Amino acid sequence: MMNGLIRQLSDIVSNYGLPRDFVVQASFYVIAGLACVFAFGVVAMRNIFHCAVSLALCLFCIAGVYLFLNAEFLAVVQILIYVGAIVTLFIFAIMLTSNIEDRSIRQANRQVLVSAAVAAAILSFFIFIIIGAPWKTAAEGTATAPGLEDIGRALMSAYALPFEFISLILLAALVGAIVIGKAKKQ
Amino acid sequence: MIPQNHFLILGAVLFAMGLYGALTRRTAIGILMSIELILNAANINLITFNKFIGGPDGLGQVFALFVMAIAAASAVIGLVLVIAVYRNMKTIFTEKMNILKW
Repeated sequence: MMNGLIRQLSDIVSNYGLPRDFVVQASFYVIAGLACVFAFGVVAMRNIFHCAVSLALCLFCIAGVYLFLNAEFLAVVQILIYVGAIVTLFIFAIMLTSNIEDRSIRQANRQVLVSAAVAAAILSFFIFIIIGAPWKTAAEGTATAPGLEDIGRALMSAYALPFEFISLILLAALVGAIVIGKAKKQ
Repeated sequence: MIPQNHFLILGAVLFAMGLYGALTRRTAIGILMSIELILNAANINLITFNKFIGGPDGLGQVFALFVMAIAAASAVIGLVLVIAVYRNMKTIFTEKMNILKW
């Protein structure tokens, strides 16, 4: 059973007489398809600024996919961290380095065909494995989706040490970014 | 409801596109963007398995949070390196960054 935000939204939809399962599934496939389209835009567009905007939209769609996985907290964190911070950082980096927005500059190297073949081969291999694998799935209803409270408890009890290491990594990244990015004294 | 395989295939497609981008982009910024796509594909898989197979107290979602934090740190360091290289060499094209070769 679905719970969480998608459940509530589908309740609202079914109040208008629409078939609930169809609406949920159709909206999932639309969002997943949009994520794939924008991801293709990230890797294929020529203007790198458009690529950054496409990356933002793709990450937004992935946040929507998280909603279908009952991970509302991660969806919000995805929008905050990725769309809010990382894409902004990418756009700053694009602005600070000049003349790469020009359409006449080639954005891809000479290995396009080989890379596409490798990516397609790996993708078909993955799909083959995913379809063929006998996934051990929990019976409906027994696998309870963790709520925000469970995640907070886990971060403060069982995974407290990795949590602290993450804060250390972020601090190191902060200091390292300042040291590397600082302009040299003339 | 939506089966597990469809989430996993979405993750595989995003991974393949990120791999293609990382292999073909000429600019370091484009490569970093493709790596972000790959990390997101990994996150989708983690949360999918957490939902469908279950696990102790939301392990998959906690792991996805860690992946996001490390992705943020790596993006910061990568972009600062791009800016530092640009300041010294006036280019961000990866084939021009070859002064470590002899």
